[in-house]
Amino acid sequence: MKTKVLLVGGRSKAKSLAISLIKKGYKVSVINDTYEDCLKLAEIDKLTVINGNGTRPFVLEDANTGDADIAIALTSKDEDNLVICELCKKRFHIKKTVALLTDPKKTDFFYKMGVDSVVCAITAITGIIEQQAFVDKIATLVPIGEGRVSLAEVSISGTAPAVGKKLWEINLPKQVIIGCILRGDTTMVPRGDTRIMAGDMLVLISSDKQEMTAIKELTGK
Amino acid sequence: MELLIEKKADENYTIVIGCGRLGANLANTLSDERGNVLIIDKNKDAFRKLSPSFGGLSITGDATDLDVLQSAQISKASVVVAVTNSDNVNIMVAQIAHELFQIKRVIVRLYDPETECVYHEFGIDTICPAILSAKEIDKILSKTSLSEDVSQEEKK
Repeated sequence: MKTKVLLVGGRSKAKSLAISLIKKGYKVSVINDTYEDCLKLAEIDKLTVINGNGTRPFVLEDANTGDADIAIALTSKDEDNLVICELCKKRFHIKKTVALLTDPKKTDFFYKMGVDSVVCAITAITGIIEQQAFVDKIATLVPIGEGRVSLAEVSISGTAPAVGKKLWEINLPKQVIIGCILRGDTTMVPRGDTRIMAGDMLVLISSDKQEMTAIKELTGK
Repeated sequence: MELLIEKKADENYTIVIGCGRLGANLANTLSDERGNVLIIDKNKDAFRKLSPSFGGLSITGDATDLDVLQSAQISKASVVVAVTNSDNVNIMVAQIAHELFQIKRVIVRLYDPETECVYHEFGIDTICPAILSAKEIDKILSKTSLSEDVSQEEKK
């Protein structure tokens, strides 16, 4: 059985999310209250489009909301998203509801009202911008195992000394391995003969705080 | 004197959200009855609907913003009435008042009676103009038909 996902509102967000979810094998329906947006959305293959106000119970009923496994509220109004999630939960007994939220102060409130997952666009975006603007070499550093092991994401610029080298040619500390390479849309688990290219994003797994040595070796900084 | 005012404020402080026809009317009535009233609306011009004798306070701002509610001292309110022209705004404000600020009495106007049933269980009082009007019209109709019946019987 395919997992059924219902998207309510949101024009471009709904569109790209729908495309991505259909590609992953989900059954996707979209509710949108603007007729023009519905026409655009209807161009997507295998997508069910319903024109109507998703905060109205009868529109949700038309969309067979009761059968959905996940409901995602993407409208630009916080109150609409709250009502959509509450209706889905209370009236249609959907297992998982996700709401997009504009005002970060209401995150706790939304969780309290029974929304399963709250995505605050502003918090998420400012977080990403901060990361991008202030950390050059390491995009993210995630400590695991009480900080004894860390995962680091390192982007390789065109001028980095590691560019064009195979993994075995790089003198990495023993405590560090390159666990994964993200190149464009693809991800790969590298072997010794994999070449590092400019623009790659490397995921390093390191113990004993050796990540900085490894990053210096890879990026030259 | 100050003590008296504060005591009065504790006893009866109503916040009306949305200064439309209903909100303004309600605020005027409550103010005439010497209650403490505060009315909130996004649009400053909306307060023109208040009568010149209105003795309450008004705040221009978005009532779904927690800061605005806090500046209205919502936690001191005994009643919160949400009567903006958007059902969903009313629902959200009511839930914020009820859940985050523990206001016992929250009254909400909902245009759509279908959503009403969902919000009854939250402990929020809802009124639906469509249902009220239907009842009232039905009452008038039954009255006139009754009187018609009576007059017809009288003729006989």
